[in-house]
Amino acid sequence: MNLEQLNQEYHCFNIIQDLQEKEEGKLKGLKISVKDSICVKDMESAAGSKMLEGYKPVFHATAVQKVLNEGATIIGKTSQDCFGFGSFSMNTGIGFSQPLNPIDKTRVTGGSSGGSACLTKLADFDHVSFGESTGGSIACPAAYCGVVGFTPTYGRISRYGLIDYGNSLDKLGLIAKTVKQCAEVLEIVAGHDEKDSTSIDAPVDQYTKFLNKDIKGLKIGIIKESLQEGIESEVKAAFELTINKLKDKGAIVEEVSLPLTFKYGISVYYLIAMCEASTNLAKLCGIRYGAEEKPEGNFNEYFSKVRSENFNEEAKRRIILGTFARMSGFRDAYYIKAAKIRTLIINEYKELFKNYDVLVSPTMPNVAPKIEDVKKLTPLQNYMMDVLVCGPNLAGLPHISIPVGEQTLPIGFMIMGDHLQESKIIQVASEVEK
Amino acid sequence: MNFTSDIVIGLEIHVQLNTKTKLFCSCPTQGSEEPNTRTCEVCLGMPGSKPVLNKAALEYALKLALALECEISSNLTFSRKSYFYPDLAKNYQISQYEIPLGIKGKLHLKSGKTIGITRVHMEEDPAALVHPNGMVDSKFVLIDYNRSGNPLCEVVTEPELTSPDEARDFMKQLIAVLNYLKIFDQDNCIIKADANISIKEKDYTRVEIKNITGFKEIERALNYELERQKREDVVQETRAWDAETGVTRSLRKKETEEEYGYIIDPDLTTTKIEDSLINKIKQDLPELARDKALKFVEKHKIREEDALVLSQEKELAELFEKAVEHVSPTLAVSWIRHELNRVLNYNKKSLEEVKLDEVQLINLLKLIEKKTITENVAQKILEKLIEESFDVEDYVKENKLNAVSDSGELKTLCEEAIKESSKAVEDYKSGNEKAFHAIVGVVMRKTRGAANPAEVQKIIKELLE
Repeated sequence: MNLEQLNQEYHCFNIIQDLQEKEEGKLKGLKISVKDSICVKDMESAAGSKMLEGYKPVFHATAVQKVLNEGATIIGKTSQDCFGFGSFSMNTGIGFSQPLNPIDKTRVTGGSSGGSACLTKLADFDHVSFGESTGGSIACPAAYCGVVGFTPTYGRISRYGLIDYGNSLDKLGLIAKTVKQCAEVLEIVAGHDEKDSTSIDAPVDQYTKFLNKDIKGLKIGIIKESLQEGIESEVKAAFELTINKLKDKGAIVEEVSLPLTFKYGISVYYLIAMCEASTNLAKLCGIRYGAEEKPEGNFNEYFSKVRSENFNEEAKRRIILGTFARMSGFRDAYYIKAAKIRTLIINEYKELFKNYDVLVSPTMPNVAPKIEDVKKLTPLQNYMMDVLVCGPNLAGLPHISIPVGEQTLPIGFMIMGDHLQESKIIQVASEVEK
Repeated sequence: MNFTSDIVIGLEIHVQLNTKTKLFCSCPTQGSEEPNTRTCEVCLGMPGSKPVLNKAALEYALKLALALECEISSNLTFSRKSYFYPDLAKNYQISQYEIPLGIKGKLHLKSGKTIGITRVHMEEDPAALVHPNGMVDSKFVLIDYNRSGNPLCEVVTEPELTSPDEARDFMKQLIAVLNYLKIFDQDNCIIKADANISIKEKDYTRVEIKNITGFKEIERALNYELERQKREDVVQETRAWDAETGVTRSLRKKETEEEYGYIIDPDLTTTKIEDSLINKIKQDLPELARDKALKFVEKHKIREEDALVLSQEKELAELFEKAVEHVSPTLAVSWIRHELNRVLNYNKKSLEEVKLDEVQLINLLKLIEKKTITENVAQKILEKLIEESFDVEDYVKENKLNAVSDSGELKTLCEEAIKESSKAVEDYKSGNEKAFHAIVGVVMRKTRGAANPAEVQKIIKELLE
């Protein structure tokens, strides 16, 4: 397969470049593409933004180092919404191309890990992609492109080497054609990393053992709110078909409710993500790496010019909103309150997991929309697209999106588990996949 | 706040902790001065890097907070203090905001007055800005990140200091605490202060003075500012201290508090500060300067002034403690506080640098106390002792430096001296007091300083009368 040609057609790569450090290992023969926001040493890692063009990290992300140690080959950096700021991969940085849906090029791939999902669908070789999800950036494009998108528990895979969006939300994850591939790579990349203070120090399961494991008697909760208003009928139909399949296999399925999550999830998610993002992006000021301009004027004038010219509109919007929400006078009403409600949302999920092994919902309320239609959305309508995926992301819960249904345009079925219950998700997902 | 004193001063002091590595990465805090060599992706704030807390820095900061009698927070949380400045690698500083490490502490001044400590918190040092042709003329600024990420502890006082002199003493007492705790390297680490000062005459309009280095400067800067405030109209503002010219200059007028948009640093998890850690550090805290001074007065009955000076430096205090096991406290004070300091000052060295052989110093004091040697001889031996270590007793024997205390022998020498100095004797008898000392000098030369001058004077006087 000619990747250059593929890229000309679908714009799934920002950089095509091979890197292999070891010949042998458990991942020998596997090709891995890496979302642009994840650092690969000496390989431009721009997080899809003009602001970071030319930034070649001096270190590998821990997850990248781990797969290289096992003989995998990195094949390049995939396209994305700049810094992860988007749900459709339409907010690519200035000068970066938007990836196109592999099934229908007039439609979006979803985002922000759009390039990863698109490439995964098209690849005719053994391939897994590293994605990153802050508020749904793995599940969403996986659903729209018809591939498996796996987001582990917050802290399960080290964030070292991830160019931050919202640090308390960011999770590295995997996009692959099969659940098995996700499980295999997860076994390698999961685990504690002393370079990331937020990584979890807990044993790593043998995830592959949970593939094809009987789900008889497993308790599954259907999130009631996810099937109410705004959901496309074909998505609902495909979802219900899958539920019946799980029932047939002996799972106990009941309806559950997450009122707080559905009422406040989107607001809380965007407040926290933008507050954190606006501090993360502050370091990009044209001095040490990435974009530069002719040094003129004083420091304030210089960095203002660099930032004005190199951040795209969505990055600017999030910097302004995020800065506003943490300013004294507004901070308590927005940032602090959002943090408190986030805790309540986590508790709401935790309560359900006392009685249910996994929760399920459609991944996205729709199939991949047309590029032209997305352009007409207001920023708020854009943000509302995350309504189903933002909950588990906010709560740091592991979740997976699996393609279901027989339609031409893919539909995603999402399974969510309690913290560190990746194995259960894999168990259920491999049944759905059959 | 309701102030009553004429002058109100509060301090914010930044202390660099002398850990081996930086606060959030493993780069060394000391070493090559070549710019930007002690750096990595973390202290340069490179995208993708993440901070990891240096546990030694936490322990050092806890020592300080506990020594200042602070209440320790049950959780350790860091915040991002956001502002754009070229010395900040990330354009935010990792600091502590909502939940500082310690609150409600205190420190005693020399006078015995207690100054409240509002908070003690940890933060990272920014990089150093270098203006190649001076601050005003330089067309550009160079940034050296060697310092970026060094561990700092900020100590904030209540506005309870009422004079520049008190502010100076506060700094001095704080430095003493730091030295006792061995968490600060006075030779290589910097201690900096920002001071708030206001006066009653101007309705306590608050002025903040930035960037004052060291305890001598704080008094200078505050004295200057005090006079300025009395002389000029005072507006609420931030001023910078220029040590070279000795003036404060307006940096910015501030109508409102500065805006830092604090958020909890999401890269550093909030962790519990375990009671076991606090208790362990508490147990290991050394006896501090003030406790030592009080003990010296109580136990050894020395003057408070002497006790305070001795206790200010840990090494000096410990030497004193060892000495009083062998000699009288008065003699120990006189030789350790005065003579030793004189010799050290003369050589521009600190006690730590000279590696003084304490056993031999105490031997020397014993010889003085037994009057085996004279103070003159002892001074010379002390000067030699700070250069090298040797057995004092052997040295005295070999060089025949024993005090000539046999008054028969001394009398013979005095008679000889009178015979040899007939001119001086004559002058003395005609009322020239100086001539008397010349005769004493002859005896001292004959004994190579080993005679007790007072004794010699007494004998000569008797012989001449």
